[in-house]
Amino acid sequence: MKKTLIILVLAMVLPTVHVMAEGLGDGLSLKVKAGYSIGASTPYGMPEAIEGIDAFRLTPSFRAGVDAVQPLTGRWGVSAGLFVESKAMDVAVRTKGYHMEMRQGTESIEGVFTGHVGQQISMLMLTLPVCATYTISPKLELRAGVYGSLLLNNKFTGVASDGYIRRGGPTGPKIIIGDTPEAQATYDFSDDMRKLQAGATVGVDWLPWSRLGFSLDLTVGFTSIFKAGFKTVEQPLYPIYGTLGVFYMFL
Amino acid sequence: MKKIVSGFMAAVLAMACIVSCSKDTPKNSECDITSAWVDGAQYEQYFYNKADMRHDNIASSDEEIVFWVKSLGALPQMPVSFSITEGSTINPANGSLQDFSAGAVTYTVTAEDGNHSRQYKVVFKERQAIVDTMTLYSFEHAETLEKGATYHVFYEINPYGQRENIWASGNAGFAVVHSDYTPEQYPTSQTPNGYQGKGLCLTTRDAGYLARLMHKPIAAGNLFIGSFDGSMVMSNPLRCTVFGIPVNRQPVKVAGYYKYQPGAEFTNANMDIVPGRTDEANIYAVFFRNQNAAGESIHLYGDDVLTSPYIVTKAQVASLPATSEWTRFEMTFDEGSVDASVLAAFGYSWTLVFSSSKGGDSFEGAIGSTLYIDEVEVTYNTNGTAK
Repeated sequence: MKKTLIILVLAMVLPTVHVMAEGLGDGLSLKVKAGYSIGASTPYGMPEAIEGIDAFRLTPSFRAGVDAVQPLTGRWGVSAGLFVESKAMDVAVRTKGYHMEMRQGTESIEGVFTGHVGQQISMLMLTLPVCATYTISPKLELRAGVYGSLLLNNKFTGVASDGYIRRGGPTGPKIIIGDTPEAQATYDFSDDMRKLQAGATVGVDWLPWSRLGFSLDLTVGFTSIFKAGFKTVEQPLYPIYGTLGVFYMFL
Repeated sequence: MKKIVSGFMAAVLAMACIVSCSKDTPKNSECDITSAWVDGAQYEQYFYNKADMRHDNIASSDEEIVFWVKSLGALPQMPVSFSITEGSTINPANGSLQDFSAGAVTYTVTAEDGNHSRQYKVVFKERQAIVDTMTLYSFEHAETLEKGATYHVFYEINPYGQRENIWASGNAGFAVVHSDYTPEQYPTSQTPNGYQGKGLCLTTRDAGYLARLMHKPIAAGNLFIGSFDGSMVMSNPLRCTVFGIPVNRQPVKVAGYYKYQPGAEFTNANMDIVPGRTDEANIYAVFFRNQNAAGESIHLYGDDVLTSPYIVTKAQVASLPATSEWTRFEMTFDEGSVDASVLAAFGYSWTLVFSSSKGGDSFEGAIGSTLYIDEVEVTYNTNGTAK
């Protein structure tokens, strides 16, 4: 499914960019890029209630697409691109008094959770970055800008175990959450995730050979991965990912 | 290439760690009493049993700790000791001598963070001997608990005019996710239309979406003698129901009036309909030894209330056919050998259980099954038992 999508998007985007390139005239370069990303959707500043991270498993996240770079004046230029990317995360944390609220229709549980959380996030998206570029040397180009993403597919699921919720706050009655499959609490907040994300991006392209090079990008979300008003997860979670990739330059 | 990748990963992880790990461990916000006890051989004379001198596993929802004594009249100042949450402090001082003869003493536990505290009432009460040859439960007394949720809590007034909180139900568990319900929407409630006066109404309810996720899709209406610990409602619901109160008489027969209508569709724990199966109500009673050989308290729970080795004798109503008219039921206890001196010292407990779905403890039953109960008479064995 994912592979088909990538091929489809590339098939759509490549000719478009090519046409654009012809119209823009001299100096336009086109870079087809593919890379592997790692990162996380995380609060800015770890909340006190997260006692520690037990495990952070690398999840296959990738980014593939095209960047078109147009030099303007001197060393400056602009770039725009279209990428298919996935941002996944698999983390196990320990919490102490983590505020949470679950709502379903008229039902609700609100309180603080102390225990273990295994959290899986996966997001597949189309991303459009627009950047200013700065050429240091023919082999090295920097860029910084913003991006917008449209989510094609997203999941936010997890398991709370081996702990307890205290309803209302740290002095409220406990609800024990066990560690056997029947006694754990599984959750799925996929439907509470935003479909549009935005953020900032910085990157560098290094071209050691005539057409083949390496790229490094860092993206930092401005928007939480959740819709406004979603309260189960206390802090907004911002996707922060780094991508190491290779690219091939046309033109 | 591999080196570059791993170097890059190390850099990102290091960054994540700088963001996440640069903080002190937060101070504890919890402030619970987890156990309470009276130490000292000189105080044993004021209690019927040594087991009455300590309470382990105090529920997180408890705000009152009761020590049952023979008499308040000559009760000296008592030193009550507590286990409290790590880092918290208690006032009055842990183990200090206090006068409980005039009423409850309030202890305040303050959390390590200094921002949270809890108050507990510690009260000494006289164990009231059953002096009559029978007891009548009419379900006339219920208060509407209003603490985040609103539901009925049944209690009794004993012949001395004192309130006795002997009844418990699963309402507290249902309330976890249904705090907006009215008392009548709960599984256990008081009905104005009893056989005489008010009565007990038990209805098997849809436990809701969140409970269904936990494979606990229904909540049978129940009322039983004992207490309910809601903390286990998700992890081990059979341990929520703590059965029994100490008695000084041996019950031999229980009779009363009921009405019963099973719900339309019988479902299992996965909420699948079981065709052809009709829900059944359940009424039973168990009389058991309430201490082990080491003198520790014994309670029965949902998973051993009918099988515990401490059971002396039990009774169960054979069948409760559906009926829309008040109909008499009766059950007689099996033979059981009872030590009169242990009985006189409240060394046995008993419980009486009503449920609108027999399989409710394993989340099998029919939503809508309704059992009404009223005017329940308990007859005691008066041959050779102590007063």
